[in-house]
Amino acid sequence: MSSVTSHRLRRRLLKVGHVIGLFIAMAIICLPGFWIVLSSLRPTVEIMAKPPVWVPESLSLDAYRAMFSGVGQGGIPVWDYFRNSLIISITSTVIALMIGMSGGYAFARYRFKGKSAIFLGFMLTRAVPGIALSLPLFMIYARTGIIDTHFSMILTYVALNVPFTIWLIDGFFRQVPKDLAEAAQIDGCTRWQAFWQVEFPLAGPGIASAGIFAFLTSWNEYALASQITRSVNSKTLPVGLLDYTAEFTIDWRGMCALAVVMIVPALTLTFIIQKHLVSGLTFGAVKG
Amino acid sequence: MKNFKLSAPTLLLLPAIVVLAAVIVLPLLFSFYSSFTPFRLTKPDTLWLFVGFRNYITALTSVDFWIAFGRTVLLLTIALNAEMLLGLGLAMLVNKATMGQRVLRTLMLFPMMFSPVLVGFQFKFMFNDNVGFVNNALQSLGITDRAIPWLIDGNLALFSIIVAEIWSSTSVFAILILAGLLAMPKDPVEAAHVDGCTPWQTFRYVTWPYLMPFAYIAMTIRSLDVARAYDIVKIMTDGGPAKRTELLWTLIGRTAYSDARMGLANAMAYIAILLSILFTVYFFRKLAAARQQIGAEW
Repeated sequence: MSSVTSHRLRRRLLKVGHVIGLFIAMAIICLPGFWIVLSSLRPTVEIMAKPPVWVPESLSLDAYRAMFSGVGQGGIPVWDYFRNSLIISITSTVIALMIGMSGGYAFARYRFKGKSAIFLGFMLTRAVPGIALSLPLFMIYARTGIIDTHFSMILTYVALNVPFTIWLIDGFFRQVPKDLAEAAQIDGCTRWQAFWQVEFPLAGPGIASAGIFAFLTSWNEYALASQITRSVNSKTLPVGLLDYTAEFTIDWRGMCALAVVMIVPALTLTFIIQKHLVSGLTFGAVKG
Repeated sequence: MKNFKLSAPTLLLLPAIVVLAAVIVLPLLFSFYSSFTPFRLTKPDTLWLFVGFRNYITALTSVDFWIAFGRTVLLLTIALNAEMLLGLGLAMLVNKATMGQRVLRTLMLFPMMFSPVLVGFQFKFMFNDNVGFVNNALQSLGITDRAIPWLIDGNLALFSIIVAEIWSSTSVFAILILAGLLAMPKDPVEAAHVDGCTPWQTFRYVTWPYLMPFAYIAMTIRSLDVARAYDIVKIMTDGGPAKRTELLWTLIGRTAYSDARMGLANAMAYIAILLSILFTVYFFRKLAAARQQIGAEW
């Protein structure tokens, strides 16, 4: 009898422990982001207050208004950075997707000599730390005069994204049964038509998520951008944020607002792809 | 014109190979060459001077370099192990949850959306000794009444960086291990239960081998971007205070751009590249082995 009650007690304790554990873990995960958003909305006086003010008394969008009206506070031209980031990320994503699709298709559908060696070689190019790559790129771009242009950044990000895009797209094409395209070819499609009308639509969501992943990489990249971009011509948001923090007058509220501006597109896009991302990455885990 | 037609896969792979060759392989060859010259940005002529292994010897005999090297390896070891354990724990917690699992999974992804620069910034803000959340909380709770100099004291700064690094990357492990847990067949666990295994034995000998490939995928992905730590360190402490948080990558950046000693920096960069390639190949191999192991059982 007592063993039954003790067993029941233990189970209940375990359950409570589980809920508490989950709660703490989620709190730690969410808190920093929440704190940034909150700080961007409250007046600077409250951020600086000693003893600290925990419950905000007034919230306003002043920081955002200041940032986007002309040259923002602290002389950070947020609009220019935003535009540069957008142009560079979108263009490089589109190009990386096209290259990644043809490469991923080759890996998924053909057998050829040295396949796994080439695949590993592609992956190894990603192992080169950004800062190590930035040295020769800086020298070469400076020589050829394309430093501090959108073109040089796009070129760099395409190369940065291609290996990973190929990995993901390869996985998604493998999930599309080969028979479907073959059936289409028997029905009179050319291989090209079979690809666009059968395989591409089926792998579509996966390809889209690979695209979003590439976009995020470009959107967030810092190590290379910090050296290759030199002025408002091509500086991206991460570089802008660091410029901001390096200034002497520390405007925490403004910086938090800039951080929020950076995170919002990333947040939205990651929500869209979360399902495909995991399935794409783990596909090779058990069926390689 | 016969035999001129390239085979289909070659043609399809060509654009990828061209881009990677142009933007990554060729520049790396160039920097490999320049690592044998005393090249300085301020003196372009020095690019044509050949000095053999002098840069490598300078790098390998410099104390700063080895300290940064050791600190990088230490940081990676601590961070990767902690991320692995915490990720595993988090994945198990979420997997056990009976309701709201979708919401929990989405929340779990949250740190993945933050770029390293943002992670660095947010922890710089949180750990700020004056207005930071951590000190404010500690003071409000009455645990301490003085401001702890999180980013100003050398050891604490390294600790703060490791915290930031773990926060940002645990979810990579958690999400992949969770995918493994969800994909796992239920029968072996039940069989182990019937055979009288303790929960620990079930986990150690049944669940864990199944999760291995997923953990190694996470490791491979992480080892591909270990250099992400550069962004975090750069924004949080910039290698300071007094070089106490200098990592290989910040040291390279400083040597190249602040001291303008490109040749030496390239030599150091090669050692760093070697390090990350070793990591990648190691985990890639482990992945293949773990995959084979369960492949035989499935």
